[in-house]
Amino acid sequence: MSHSTVTKDAPAIGPSKTWTSTGRSKVTSTDALRVVILVTSALLALIPIVWLVLGSFKTPTELSKRPPTLLPESWGLSNYTEAMTRFNFPSYLTNSVIVTLAATLLTLAINSMAAYALAKYNFRGKNGLFLLTLATIMIPLQVILLPVYQVVASLGLVNTLWGLIIPAAATPTGVFILRQYMLSIPDELIEAARVDGAGEFRIFFRIVLPMCRPALAVVAILSIMWRWNDFLWPLVVAQSESVYTLPVALARFTAEETVPFNLILAMSVVTVLPVIILFLFFQRQIVTGIANTGIK
Amino acid sequence: MAAIQATPRLRQRKAPLKMRLVPYLFLLPNMAIFGLFTVWPAINGFNISMYSSSNGRTFRWEGTGNYQRILTDEDFWGIVRNTVVYALAFVLLSVVLGVMLAVLVDQQRRGRTFFRSVFFIPVLISPVVAGLVWNWMLERQNGLINTFLGTLGIPEVPWLVDNTLAMVVVIGVGTWMQVGFYMLILLAGLQSIDPSVYEAAKIDGASRWQQFISLTFPLLQPSILVVVVLATIHGFQAFDFIYTLTGGGPVGATTLIVQYIYENGFVSPIRYGVATAGSVLLFCAIFALTIANWMIGRKREAA
Repeated sequence: MSHSTVTKDAPAIGPSKTWTSTGRSKVTSTDALRVVILVTSALLALIPIVWLVLGSFKTPTELSKRPPTLLPESWGLSNYTEAMTRFNFPSYLTNSVIVTLAATLLTLAINSMAAYALAKYNFRGKNGLFLLTLATIMIPLQVILLPVYQVVASLGLVNTLWGLIIPAAATPTGVFILRQYMLSIPDELIEAARVDGAGEFRIFFRIVLPMCRPALAVVAILSIMWRWNDFLWPLVVAQSESVYTLPVALARFTAEETVPFNLILAMSVVTVLPVIILFLFFQRQIVTGIANTGIK
Repeated sequence: MAAIQATPRLRQRKAPLKMRLVPYLFLLPNMAIFGLFTVWPAINGFNISMYSSSNGRTFRWEGTGNYQRILTDEDFWGIVRNTVVYALAFVLLSVVLGVMLAVLVDQQRRGRTFFRSVFFIPVLISPVVAGLVWNWMLERQNGLINTFLGTLGIPEVPWLVDNTLAMVVVIGVGTWMQVGFYMLILLAGLQSIDPSVYEAAKIDGASRWQQFISLTFPLLQPSILVVVVLATIHGFQAFDFIYTLTGGGPVGATTLIVQYIYENGFVSPIRYGVATAGSVLLFCAIFALTIANWMIGRKREAA
């Protein structure tokens, strides 16, 4: 709120600048109403996150105060260090990082190869396979939870990080985004490389992949965001504590009340922060990636 | 073999076998994982739903017994009702608030990117964390929200204790988490509308509201359809934030179908057949609704 009033009341330098336009037009009541609604909604979106961050610095005594205090008494990191030393959070953090990175690399590798075949080759069964890939967007994991678990169990992958990494790696959206992008690469380029005697796999790795960097970035970021926050599948596969990821650990410990709440809050911040930072850095790619998958 | 098939008539000789194998080799890793962990389980799910098992290892043939069991089970219908209530409210709120936010952000010139990012941040939050933070804020006696309401003179609200209120909370938090995602899709739709359309309307003296009803809304229909389809699928899948927000309680008032599947499949007493039968029904619901959404959307577009 304060921001908007400051801008509106600021002494005009040169042509008067308003909150809504850089031109000379006046601030109408509709504009004011819009800003009020936007700012209120922004507060609603942010308050829980701000409250979480503030809470992560509070001691158990502060957290149980009635009424709750707004700011923590000190900004010391003791909740964070205590969670990391007294409990196994370093291990959950490591598991989360390994699963997210390995799964994303695997997704990028296999999705881009499949996308290349679907975009640049003609072969029997091509359309069928592409349609099958698209159709499975409608089959979320939730629907096939038990049969997938059966497969993973029979492969001996329960309670392993591979069991968390592999099953969801062949994402239909990744194939789709990469295929659309590869369609725009001119065939002549690939033909020319063939004439020069480059092998098919060499063409893919040396020519096609480097050209797809923007699309690969979108798929990578979406995959990281999704795998990092993933919960149901890790909950089912990571049954022993040594393979817990951060969300699984947080959910289990909150339910069991085995870990003090101030430490839960600190680890929640550790869970939430990396994705927000990633988003702030790659905002443009994420926004276009989502807009495109949504529309096409 | 390739040499025999190749006829000199063809301008391009048929590629040698090695070349024809290349696309399949590129597809192999993706399709192997995809087939093993998505396509085969999707088919096998129908099969498993015909058996019963209490440990996931030994199975007994049931035929349609599982379906009969859950379809005559009052608890299951309660869960179906919860899921439908949640999904309907979630889709409705997502569309209405998504369109509202998208239009407001689109019209806002100063700080458009800022608002867009802020509304998207809840989408990025781990649903488990979102659930536990909201649970904490909604605590009856010492929660942030009741404390705030208290300063306005409103008595303590039993947010997570009352059945109806708990469902309202779950719907609200679910929408809070996802609406920024739908807003992005709708915003992209708004920005693809040709601005000259509005020029004509302005010359005709149409008010902003008239412009919205007669221009923006119809032109935004394709994006709205996408949001309806995605929100329907998301709505029926809701699970993770509810797990830490209400745990499905009080006494099952916010238990939705995915939690039902999870608990029957993995929390004792395990009832595998019941869980898979529930999954098959969930799949049928998602499939039917997606098709229905597209058909309605197509008809609207044609009209």
